[in-house]
Amino acid sequence: MKVKVVTRILEANERLAEENKKRFKEAGLFVINLMGAPGAGKTTLLEKTIQKLKGKAKLGVIEGDIAGSDDAERINAAGVPVVQINTGGACHLDANMISGVLGELPLKDMNMLIIENVGNLVCPAEFKVGENIKAMVLSITEGHDKPLKYPLMFQESKALVLNKIDLVPYTNVDIEKIKKDALSLNPEIKIFEVSCSTGEGIDLWAEWLNGQRSK
Amino acid sequence: MHEVSIALSIMDIIVKKCREESCNKIDSVRLKIGKAAGVMPDALLFAFDNIKTDTIAKDAEMIIDIIPLGGTCNSCKRDFDTEEAYVLECPKCGSADFVINKGNEMEIIDMEVS
Ligand SMILES: [Zn+2]
Repeated sequence: MKVKVVTRILEANERLAEENKKRFKEAGLFVINLMGAPGAGKTTLLEKTIQKLKGKAKLGVIEGDIAGSDDAERINAAGVPVVQINTGGACHLDANMISGVLGELPLKDMNMLIIENVGNLVCPAEFKVGENIKAMVLSITEGHDKPLKYPLMFQESKALVLNKIDLVPYTNVDIEKIKKDALSLNPEIKIFEVSCSTGEGIDLWAEWLNGQRSK
Repeated sequence: MHEVSIALSIMDIIVKKCREESCNKIDSVRLKIGKAAGVMPDALLFAFDNIKTDTIAKDAEMIIDIIPLGGTCNSCKRDFDTEEAYVLECPKCGSADFVINKGNEMEIIDMEVS
């Protein structure tokens, strides 16, 4: 017997993401889903962003990792509430994992939540978690072919943070090509050139992020 | 690698639907996957074959219809299809002013149950 199904496969995740979103809105929380490859510098950017936004925004963090809690310890040391999700092998966070840990954060004392997704350029872009915006970190050492190889994440992100620009003189990477391809895929994407080691560009990024909160 | 999560979601949906129809065996399931959906069909088939053992879908065949990426150009007003996973310009006139209207699908169309 043939049975019509006609169902979006990720519908269950999207429904849960909507529930998360409602909960975030009620708590007055602005939520960022921060994505990028392993080693792009997501956690370091997060530490620098926390320093810059001290006294300006009330932050909390969810750290997603396949295993381990090193990143959460680093964020904890930076003085903001943090919970760790170990996906135990899964390459992305999904809405259900996020709703499972919300009770462990002091949502009432926060107005911004940054979710650091699992290091991966593909899968996190596919699963909504209830965020207001997605942002991605790409280190210039990953090469200038990334936008066209992994278009979905560039298309989904509202901001692209190009990290490690202090290393440009030591590589043959074509930054203009990265920017051009990213903008072709997503004309609205906001691009920040930063260096987490010299601190260059962090101000602009942190201010922009904080400004998104009131939108 | 998110194909495993996607295969698990598919399994949840089809098992529930099969029970609703008072059936207890799934023989096949047909999907529509867009070229730009970020899913590798081979990885999805592999994942499904590995999670289906010990379920009512253990003999089920997964059939995937691949939908090309396509859109309509606002400049030349023509529709286009492409085998690429992204479009940077209208393949017919080169304009950057176009809308994508297919190629992001990730849906279950129907299934055969008994
Ligand atoms: Zn055209």
